[in-house]
Amino acid sequence: MKLTDAILLRINLSDHTSREEPIAEALLKDYLGGRGLASKYLADEVDPRVDALSPENKLIFACGLMTGSSAPTAGRYMVVTKSPLTGTIACSNSGGIWGAVLRKTGYTMIILEGKSDKPVYISIYDNNVEFKNATHLWGKRTGETTDIVLDEVGEKRARVACIGPAGENLSRIACIINDKHRAPGRSGVGAVMGSKNLKAVVVKGSNTIDFTDKSAFTSAVKEKIDKIKAHPVTGEGLPALGTKVLDNIINQGGLYPTRNFQAATFEGVDEVSGEALVKKGYLKSNTACFACPIGCARDVELPNGIRMEGPEYETGWAFGAHCGVNDLLAICEANFLCNDLGIDTISAGVTVGTAMELYEKGFIPKEDLEEGPELKFGSSESVVYWTNKLGRVEGKLGKLMAKGSYRMAEHYGHPEFSMSVKKQELPAYDPRGVQGHGLQYATSNRGGCHVRGYMISPEVLGVPEKLDTQELKGKPKWVIIFQDLTAVIDATGLCLFTSFALGLDDYTDLINASTGFNLTPEETLKIGSRIWNLERVFNMAAGIDPSQDTLPKRMFEPLPDGPQKGAVHQLPKMLPEYYELRGWNADGTIPEPTLKDLGIV
Amino acid sequence: MLRVRFFTLLHLLLNRKEMELSFVPGETVRDLLSRVQEQIETPFLHKLLGESGEMKIGTIIMINGRHIFHLDKVNTLLSDGDEVALFPPGGGG
Repeated sequence: MKLTDAILLRINLSDHTSREEPIAEALLKDYLGGRGLASKYLADEVDPRVDALSPENKLIFACGLMTGSSAPTAGRYMVVTKSPLTGTIACSNSGGIWGAVLRKTGYTMIILEGKSDKPVYISIYDNNVEFKNATHLWGKRTGETTDIVLDEVGEKRARVACIGPAGENLSRIACIINDKHRAPGRSGVGAVMGSKNLKAVVVKGSNTIDFTDKSAFTSAVKEKIDKIKAHPVTGEGLPALGTKVLDNIINQGGLYPTRNFQAATFEGVDEVSGEALVKKGYLKSNTACFACPIGCARDVELPNGIRMEGPEYETGWAFGAHCGVNDLLAICEANFLCNDLGIDTISAGVTVGTAMELYEKGFIPKEDLEEGPELKFGSSESVVYWTNKLGRVEGKLGKLMAKGSYRMAEHYGHPEFSMSVKKQELPAYDPRGVQGHGLQYATSNRGGCHVRGYMISPEVLGVPEKLDTQELKGKPKWVIIFQDLTAVIDATGLCLFTSFALGLDDYTDLINASTGFNLTPEETLKIGSRIWNLERVFNMAAGIDPSQDTLPKRMFEPLPDGPQKGAVHQLPKMLPEYYELRGWNADGTIPEPTLKDLGIV
Repeated sequence: MLRVRFFTLLHLLLNRKEMELSFVPGETVRDLLSRVQEQIETPFLHKLLGESGEMKIGTIIMINGRHIFHLDKVNTLLSDGDEVALFPPGGGG
């Protein structure tokens, strides 16, 4: 099969039927695949105003354009749906092997519709699609579910994506777990899967990918792999320490959110950093996703015998500095619980930290803790206990936490203590200490998120060039380019980490070599802009108006400590220019000519 | 006195977290790095600097939390009491 001969599998969970549909090549040229293509289908087929947890919402699993090929890191797939957390369009991206195996079935995308009347899982082996009873799996964790499903289908080389108790119980921060340790993590996509009574999707395939000009593709792939291996970040830094290389960098720079963003440096960082993971002997080796020459994943074994992947930087921070916890073992245990119960680590950790501040300030009454430990910053016991409760959606407070930090804080009358944008929890960089990245949080189409335009790269890491964290001039343009390029990378099915070493020209080379589309770099970036604007059109129709392009109130109060002490976020000084450069109206709405130019209307 | 802190790959390579050195008036970051390498007798400058002696893309050197890229890069003059943090290129997210 050629990448341009794409076929989608449409599955109706209400009547347990499925059918194939060809995907028009023109759509691939406009949206490539993955986040782009799936967003186009969702926007065309789902009323943005539907309840995200109703049968009218659809759940799309989509390969990127090159997923399953030998292009470097081409193992990513994306889950696109309407988010029950934010109310926006959701696109959660995951690595591992599952996405590449989905491509080998012959399908580029699966669209899941309706709702099964009883729990099921779906087996896809090439074009053989089967609905299987999952009543016996309901309530089980993701690790055990994966093992049972693999045993039942009798295909050890098959791959499983599934939900845990969090998704079944419709936690708005539930994720999907594939290959036991990998997650399309954010925006509550696991709850949408649970709302459809779908426990798992298991895939196995025997198809191979053909290319019109195989030698051109092979040559382009080799050149890009060489670049990735030669770059100090992707060739050395990420393989050696993974994403947790960042703990000390971000802490020393004074933007390491601590105790629910009440401070920007953490006194316990040496105990929980990437270096500590090595020094304490927890790290066994680095591992890699499909076709990845970087290998940033961590294979970790804890003293209590738990073997797991992780923790990643964001996860370690969420349960660590954000909760004031300097106990690396407890952080790893909370990470393991999240994966096994099927819950987003960033949102879970931030929600626990939010609850700690609410409790310490007296807004959560002690009786709401029931049998649980006190929610005190620094309590590792509390972090593990409450992660377990919210992942199982148990008890009064566990159920509130499972809705995410905003709804929990709102319940107690103080939503301002939720460090979130569009109700999605902020990741591990205080926007007051990095202005462009803060603008990107405020304007992200899925709310608080660092991987829609990773401005940390230029503003903190100095890649591809170093920008001053507090400088405002030029930042809106940088943010737009990063957001649009990221949309392209997602749509190709490559990992965002390739962008430390590769640029727009490289991605354009790979797209052209794999498809023959013959795009210019400008046309490639315009695809990213098309995806971005399409997502915003969906969000606006869903009722997410531009007033939500903002940050938590705390971000406009001075940073209390660290080398950037006193800084506030300067969003009002950058947002008008951002809107203007996007070709939008001053009120943040999108004028018709901009949509016409992008081919959206 | 000056305090030099080794992070990430340097921490693991040198198996040390930090060291203290006397302050030498007029010394630049480049001078200091050479002095540190001489004292600990383990080559590490190649992790931070390119062949021309300038910072590699992605190298982070901070003085009191301020990235020297926004000062005078490796020619930045040091002051008594400075804390210098060294990070070879790294990334994540």
